[in-house]
Amino acid sequence: MQFFFEVLIGGLLAGVMYSLVALGFVLIFKASGVFNFAQGAMVFFAALTTVGFASMGVPFWLAVALALAVMTVLAIATERLVLRPLVNQPQITLFMATIGLSFFIEGIAQLVWGANVRALDLGVTDEPIDWLMDRTGMNVSKFDLVASGIAAGLVAVLAVFFNKTRTGRALRAVADDHQAALAVGISLQRIWVIVWTTAGFVALVTGLLWGARNGVQFALTFLALKALPVLILGGLDSIAGAIVGGLIVGASEKLAEVYLGPHVGGGIESWFPYVLALAFLLVRPEGLFGERRIDRV
Amino acid sequence: MSASRTGGGPLLEVQDVSLAFGGVVALQGVSFDVREHEVRAIIGPNGAGKSSMLNVINGVYHPQRGTVAFKGRRHRRVDPHEAAARGIARTFQNIALFRGMSVLDNLMTGRNLKMKCGVFAQALYLGPARREELEHREKVEAIIDFLEIQHVRRTPVGRLPYGLQKRVELGRALAAEPELLLLDEPMAGMNVEEKQDMSRFILDVNDQMGTTVVLIEHDMGVVMDLSDRVVVLDYGRKIADGTPDEVRRDQSVIDAYLGVAH
Repeated sequence: MQFFFEVLIGGLLAGVMYSLVALGFVLIFKASGVFNFAQGAMVFFAALTTVGFASMGVPFWLAVALALAVMTVLAIATERLVLRPLVNQPQITLFMATIGLSFFIEGIAQLVWGANVRALDLGVTDEPIDWLMDRTGMNVSKFDLVASGIAAGLVAVLAVFFNKTRTGRALRAVADDHQAALAVGISLQRIWVIVWTTAGFVALVTGLLWGARNGVQFALTFLALKALPVLILGGLDSIAGAIVGGLIVGASEKLAEVYLGPHVGGGIESWFPYVLALAFLLVRPEGLFGERRIDRV
Repeated sequence: MSASRTGGGPLLEVQDVSLAFGGVVALQGVSFDVREHEVRAIIGPNGAGKSSMLNVINGVYHPQRGTVAFKGRRHRRVDPHEAAARGIARTFQNIALFRGMSVLDNLMTGRNLKMKCGVFAQALYLGPARREELEHREKVEAIIDFLEIQHVRRTPVGRLPYGLQKRVELGRALAAEPELLLLDEPMAGMNVEEKQDMSRFILDVNDQMGTTVVLIEHDMGVVMDLSDRVVVLDYGRKIADGTPDEVRRDQSVIDAYLGVAH
């Protein structure tokens, strides 16, 4: 039983990291209906920019602030050059545009900062927590716990921002009904800049946490793929869904690896979430928390 | 309907507006004005261009020809959020509320333009941003009291019955403290009692807040009771303009509504 909990906790903590990636997708999808394929590239770009500035001798926190500024500029540029000319185009067009955008961001990131893998040290090691180990014998990583704490803090900040402030309300309003939002005086363009900046901020936090664990490298862009089963499980337009989806994916892949793996030859961790998501699609295509779309004919 | 209410100068002037979608002509050379503090109705058979007219006024559609002047200022091209910033609020024929949000939050979005705190202060939920929220909450609560919807303040709008949703939509428009209020069929689909309530609210808004109202309505009884002056559209053209009594007696209006032998 103790082993079960150890695996479960490890899985849940890893799941929080998946939730972070999915959160970036959800933010943009909610407000603009765009599935932003470039979210993975943004994670990579944000982390690389931070590490890049830091390696130039800039203090770490300043480097983070500079990276945030760069992500804001990127959001403004994206709205001006990509979204605005394509307004009122079909969703698939915008989706294709974000694929193009992802190549552009990946290219410019490596052009500016080089293609080497860089280490990132947040000052927290990936070691078991001693007192928990002593008391219960469970192996829970210090890094995972801190990362989860940061992620939880981020989600709490976003929740307050979305529910208690004018801009948050405007964001929800735009997500609900574009026409009505315009009529009460909400500028869509401004909202899109804010949403993409927020997604950029989430990408930065995600990039720093994943980069600290796996190194800041091109493979960070593939995190976008890891977010897919999370999004399918949780629903594309729900922040709560992204969190719960991430937890389910994290916990289920670890538990499956440990308990099912030996029977089928192991190594199922990497594909189990996709199978789970596939099965889920058949039962509840809108996800656990997604908005059910009813088409009237 | 006292004549004193219509004493003001023109708040809105629509001049020679023509609007077409491809080959389909929605409006053709329509001109009329709306005086300060009056209730102006736009009526006409289905497809006459009434909603298109409202959409031109608040900038959803941009007419190919003609101008709309609001408070004496002519604008070539206005977008809906700019129109809102100048003091034009509206409701929609098919209710366009934020269905997932509570009544309170829906009305708070109406105050969007009145709130000044920057995104940064809001993101950190700093003191000024919080104070601003409370200040605007009071205004919104006053509107909620006025419209008698206290009992559903926290309910998501999507769960309310149709009549109440219409009332919430009016509330959201009022929250912006507009000078000009555009109402697209505020009483469509309501029963007699709900219509009476809504009429009362519209008259109270006009009287107590001094808001100028332009409304589209099908129920002739309601139109004749509420409005100071009426514009009649048919096939995108203005066929009559005057007080309810004048319009009611106008031969072309009678023809448009009852049909005429050719």
